[in-house]
Amino acid sequence: MGELFQQTILISILAGMVRIATPILFAAIGELVTQRAGIWNMGVEGTMLMGAFTAYFVATATGSIWLAVVMAMVAGALVGLIIAFMTVTMRVDHFITGLAVNLLIAGLTLYWFRMYIKGRAQPTFDGFENVPIPVLSSIPIVGEILFDQRLLTYVAFAAVPAVWYLLYRTRWGLELRCLGENPKALDIKGLSVAVRQYAAVLFGSVMTGLGGGFLMLGFSDRFLADITAGRGWLAIVALIAGNWMPKGVLAAVLVFALLESVATHVQVLGIDVPHQIFLALPYLASILLLMGLRRQSRQPQRLGIPYFR
Amino acid sequence: MTSIERDTGAPRPITRIRIEPRVNRKPIWTFSMYLAATLFGLVLSALLLWTSGADVIKAFSALLNGGFGSQKALVATLAKATPLILTGLATVVAFRAQVWSIGQEGQVYAGAMGAYTGYLMLAGLPPALYIAGIILCGMIGGAVLGALAAILKDRFDVNEIISTVMMNYLIVFLLSYLIGGGPWTEVSTSVVYQQTAPISEAAQLPALFGSSKLHLGFGFAIVAALVCYVVLDKTPLGYEIRAMGYNPVALAYRGTNIGRTIVLVMILSGAIAGLAGVSEIFGTAHRLRSDTLFNLGYTGIIIGMIGGLRPLGTVVAGVIFGGLSSGALYMKLLAQVPAALVPAMEGILMLTFLCAGVAARYKIVRVQTDG
Amino acid sequence: MSPILRTVNLTKRFPGVIANEDVNFDLVAGEIHCLFGENGAGKSTLSSCLFGFYQPEGGGLELRGEPVKFRSPRDAIHAGIGMVHQHFVLVPDFTVLENIVVGTHENGWKLNLDEARGRVEDLCREYDIDLDPNATVRNLAVGQQQWVEILKALYLGAEILILDEPSAVLTPEESIRLFRIINHMKELGLSIVLISHKMVEVMQSDRVTVLRKGKVVDTVRPGEVTPKELTRMMVGRDVELRVIRDRSAEGAAAPETVLVVDNVSYRDNRENLALDQISLTIGKGEILGLAGVSGNGQKELFEILSGILIPESGNVTLADERIEGLPSRQYMDRGVGLVPDDRFREGLIPEFDIQENMILGWQRHDDYTQGPFLNQKQIGTIAEGLIDEFQIKTPSATTPVNHLSGGNAQKVILAREFVHSNKLLLANQPTRGLDLGVIEYVYKQIIAKRDEGFAVLLASEELEDLLNLSDRIAVISGGRITGVVDPENTSIEEIGLLMAGERKEAAE
Repeated sequence: MGELFQQTILISILAGMVRIATPILFAAIGELVTQRAGIWNMGVEGTMLMGAFTAYFVATATGSIWLAVVMAMVAGALVGLIIAFMTVTMRVDHFITGLAVNLLIAGLTLYWFRMYIKGRAQPTFDGFENVPIPVLSSIPIVGEILFDQRLLTYVAFAAVPAVWYLLYRTRWGLELRCLGENPKALDIKGLSVAVRQYAAVLFGSVMTGLGGGFLMLGFSDRFLADITAGRGWLAIVALIAGNWMPKGVLAAVLVFALLESVATHVQVLGIDVPHQIFLALPYLASILLLMGLRRQSRQPQRLGIPYFR
Repeated sequence: MTSIERDTGAPRPITRIRIEPRVNRKPIWTFSMYLAATLFGLVLSALLLWTSGADVIKAFSALLNGGFGSQKALVATLAKATPLILTGLATVVAFRAQVWSIGQEGQVYAGAMGAYTGYLMLAGLPPALYIAGIILCGMIGGAVLGALAAILKDRFDVNEIISTVMMNYLIVFLLSYLIGGGPWTEVSTSVVYQQTAPISEAAQLPALFGSSKLHLGFGFAIVAALVCYVVLDKTPLGYEIRAMGYNPVALAYRGTNIGRTIVLVMILSGAIAGLAGVSEIFGTAHRLRSDTLFNLGYTGIIIGMIGGLRPLGTVVAGVIFGGLSSGALYMKLLAQVPAALVPAMEGILMLTFLCAGVAARYKIVRVQTDG
Repeated sequence: MSPILRTVNLTKRFPGVIANEDVNFDLVAGEIHCLFGENGAGKSTLSSCLFGFYQPEGGGLELRGEPVKFRSPRDAIHAGIGMVHQHFVLVPDFTVLENIVVGTHENGWKLNLDEARGRVEDLCREYDIDLDPNATVRNLAVGQQQWVEILKALYLGAEILILDEPSAVLTPEESIRLFRIINHMKELGLSIVLISHKMVEVMQSDRVTVLRKGKVVDTVRPGEVTPKELTRMMVGRDVELRVIRDRSAEGAAAPETVLVVDNVSYRDNRENLALDQISLTIGKGEILGLAGVSGNGQKELFEILSGILIPESGNVTLADERIEGLPSRQYMDRGVGLVPDDRFREGLIPEFDIQENMILGWQRHDDYTQGPFLNQKQIGTIAEGLIDEFQIKTPSATTPVNHLSGGNAQKVILAREFVHSNKLLLANQPTRGLDLGVIEYVYKQIIAKRDEGFAVLLASEELEDLLNLSDRIAVISGGRITGVVDPENTSIEEIGLLMAGERKEAAE
């Protein structure tokens, strides 16, 4: 009996990990493309929040959660446009741009949210259901963990090899990586650095917006002011910890997700310590991870440096 | 032979936009850029109000009246401005050195918690000494958290933005434990409110001008601004901070220890942010709770940036935004607009100010490249 | 013969400067045409206009007799123009092949490196270039990286090749090989624009166009003018660098040793051995020249000798005191002055004004402080004095140094370092990128310091200058000292061999 209980909890923790990893993975994989193109986008947290709020607004206002997903991506794209304009066209410091965008969106979403729910009970919506994959989901243990998830979770995990293929097996990927290492090498061949960097920022922001949308629609039925709670930042940490490689990023995201999943199971596990300790784990882990890494060899050489001719 | 993909169609005239540095910067141009940024920011804010169905005129006039409309309002404004000026100054010190710390938020909490520790441990000291000790403990609290980020950056090459964000979350969890079930939790009530018991009168910061709102903390903010100004502009340490912001390589080449300077900067920045926490808890809220401290640090980043990363500019920006925060309550009452408009406006203004900063430094040239 | 490419009254302005004014230049098919001029004469700007990287404000280009407008390098590439930039534009982490292929837009969206590899190998065979397409560029020698740049242009089908200072980073050996291949390209029908300020190379070209201050002085054939005449055309007056040559009698005797470097090794953060058991001595009143292609350990050596880096092993002794491992502050306090090679990055705070830069590193010194504060008045007075003494052309002492020309900025560094040091002067490429007039001035100042009794370590890529100025010349290659020679009894050829890494038997 005890053994079965343990197994059930373990499966629940691991399945929870896969689900919790989803939004961070979307953001991290998107940001991977952005950073390989040389843009240090620090606005991931804000972009994600924007995606989450937009998804909430659309889902409650129209009742269509798929429309909500699309609009979360559109919202991400709009934020990406601001970030790209500031960093690529205006050449404002990338860090400062990200901070400004985060603060702006924290303010905006809070205002819109308060305005939206003014004088009424907060509306809710029906989020995503699990979509078990036929056959695969009936594999014992593994099936329950991996193949009985929300649809977008499959998409997020499929995005990892897809982005790997994009980066290493296509002409665009080669150009993208070139932007992060030495944008002038493209410029002297007459190819626009700005257009490609805009595209990379937009791709990253759309993915991040999608991550925010999933965070809203896949986990909860109501919006909170700080619903992203640092997940955007964790995505950036995962990128550094994963050494700007798709595989490494996936691994780092899973570590954070596992810690968070464990934290949500603390009460079931009956461990008698303040629950804040478990909540703090992913953040603590991210600092420790970065401390252990020290100098990075794979960080794009021109990451975060505005390009001037 | 080439096998390059060819452009289709005839060459067409295109106008491109290019950014070039301004050779001679005139102060009047810089000033008008920032004025334009302010106006544009206000227009965007009005647009935000209008699109969300609020009465723009009513909301803005309530905001202004509530913030600056009467002597009483002004006093309330200065009280609101106090922690913002302090966190703004903390931002100025760090950002002038190009240390992108956003740990002001966490340092405010750490300052409040340090001071609360002092409040518990130093009880029984003579009043003036007691308050001085509490303030010192608060500054140490903020400074320790700041120094931690600096050491992580210097020794372990951990990006300071990320480490400070993570510590901002960690410190909030710590406080949440301490006042929500932990040793500092208020015990007299049957429900846990996530707060400490009220702070004894002996430890409260004395009021200024007999006001119920304005307290000694405002004096600290002004003194801190003056100290920051003198340190940054008139001392060797300030020279090093500014030089590090522009070119740390050359500074290190000529004998200045960059790691040590980063630690000093973060101690200074953290101590000032810590002071904001002390001031808010011991001057205004009179008990330690999380929500009174929330967002003071992040707002300080905006205040410092809009203040042009100058101490005196930060005081001005702090008072203006203190006024908006203060007026937001009236706006909520009179125009039924959520107080959250103010952080949204702050974000908008920060973006327009960043653009103005670029416009002041560079000029945008239209280049007709063909035809 | 009608020109294949020419400019008609081409004018290009930058904020505050006219880089090219009414330039008329023509390139005949199958010739090597040299653009000759001082730094800042407008050679690079002109070539960037030819390549479509910059768009001229006035005048225009004609290609094979037809007026053309290049909106971007892409148009120039389509027209068959290729450019090899002075500072390589390569991605160190990419392979040779990836560097060549990136941005070439062929074969659809999928990366097809195999086909490209075949074409690159064909090109290597055709032009007799020995290079592995799969090698990572980071691991190539600087000379080989140059081949990658040339292959990039050839791969795109260049018929006109612009080479911007191609030999600046090559050893004399490699330069000779480069010119062999350039001549081979010419035989195969390519037209070549060669940008250079080296007389040897100029004399090997078919025609020379001399630029001065953005304008064309004249276009001549090298056989019809003497090098001296060419120099006069370039500078606008006679220059006699050789006048400087005079060694102090004291130095030649038995100099009292100031600096001893004993078996110093250093590993960079990629674990490469950047310095391999370096041993050197410099005496009082002696100039030790350091010859070598840059990137062979000079920078690391200078950084160790000024306390910025800590050696992995070995000793550094200054005036009988072991100082390796001490922080740079201690080196400064012991009288070591440093003129770094990247002046705006390592020597100056560009946004600071002249007087602030004059005290960089000494901002806590008693002379410049009053209690806890900076003594602005005193700093101003001292700065004014130095501006006069070093003939720095500036509106005021409070002008930011990024408003100064390279020469005047370099003088700010010289002034600061000369005033604050008293034993050892480290000068890494102190004349790089400067006009001849300023070069002359810098050398005179260094000689004056030598005569005062300073020990001087002077690194330069200009071998002629080293031969003229040094009491001894040490040659560095691959992080090792390959030999120490006496300028009286050596030749450029001997130094060239040492620079290429051939070790000289210890003959000191």
